[in-house]
Amino acid sequence: MSRACFFLVCAFSIIWASAAQAKTTTIDDSGTQALEPSVSMRWQTSTPSRKGGANLMIGTTTLRVRLNVTPWLHRACRIYLDFPAQRPGAITTSWVTQGRFMPGQVHSGNRVLIYSGPIATPFLEDVMKFQFSLDGSLISRATPVTFHFEMDED
Amino acid sequence: MHAPHCGNRLRRAFIGVALFGALPGSVSAFTATLTPVAPQTVYLQVGVGSFTGDYINGGQPQNNTTINTVSATVAAAAVGNGTAQAMTTNSSATQSFFDGFTFCSVPGQVYIGGFYRTTGANTSAALVTAAVPAALTNATGSTIPFSKISWTSSGNADAGAEPFPSGTFANGAMQNVGSMGSNSWNESCLTFSYANNTVPAAGTFTGVVLYTLSSP
Repeated sequence: MSRACFFLVCAFSIIWASAAQAKTTTIDDSGTQALEPSVSMRWQTSTPSRKGGANLMIGTTTLRVRLNVTPWLHRACRIYLDFPAQRPGAITTSWVTQGRFMPGQVHSGNRVLIYSGPIATPFLEDVMKFQFSLDGSLISRATPVTFHFEMDED
Repeated sequence: MHAPHCGNRLRRAFIGVALFGALPGSVSAFTATLTPVAPQTVYLQVGVGSFTGDYINGGQPQNNTTINTVSATVAAAAVGNGTAQAMTTNSSATQSFFDGFTFCSVPGQVYIGGFYRTTGANTSAALVTAAVPAALTNATGSTIPFSKISWTSSGNADAGAEPFPSGTFANGAMQNVGSMGSNSWNESCLTFSYANNTVPAAGTFTGVVLYTLSSP
């Protein structure tokens, strides 16, 4: 019994130590520009269904993303798009890119990998076209949502 | 060379906001403003209506100014005998524009349906009212109260409560005849009948009821 407890403690210690090694840093994206000032959200279908539920609104916007990765130059890193949980509620965003970053999708409250590899230049740039979607019952006026880019160092 | 500290970054952002107000792009978080555009839509169809196609195939609602009639011809021997007279319509609307399903039967039923599209958490229903004249009149000015006309509500393969329930016209009233919860398709088929329990003057009696959908 005591041996089992000992091994259990060891196992937890290893996991904890591993997690503590991960270093996550928010990346300076101040060079990023939006090509549209706001995201126009429209009904995915103009007519609702018989039983309701067809309430999805979608909108797209394009960003010229410019990340300052100078602090990680010549190192291997992973970059994530972090989409925090926030008002007005559950939001999904998906995106396509021109190849520098990976396309993907993330639900608010999560993050997803968009780049993995060496950092060879001070800035990483790409054009990302985002599509946001959320339930129309959550939004009745212009609502800001935020996301940012995070660096995990190997 | 080291990564910027998040605490420093937040302080810089606060100073920037204090001095200049919003300064997009000066902090390490990107803000996208989601703006609902033209989100509120209403559609009401009483009798015939118009869609570019069924909704499930991408159809869009259109205007249709047709005024349909509902009528009954009472045989002289039956006038005022208390036997309700079924009324028929000249409406040809049988299929729901939702999916093309044959929901109503003509000439015995009048299709009524539509939707109320809105954003936000406001779940107040849109109301459908009927502006009912006091009476139907004939060429000599004789009248039949509109309250002599009733309707039952149903729909092919329908179960449960109808969004436009059965009722009887109220003379000279703005009458609630149904409601539409937000963001759902609502439809019923109305079968009208004339009570036929009085003996009016001979003639053709007419009146117009105007249905209106009002969103909150």
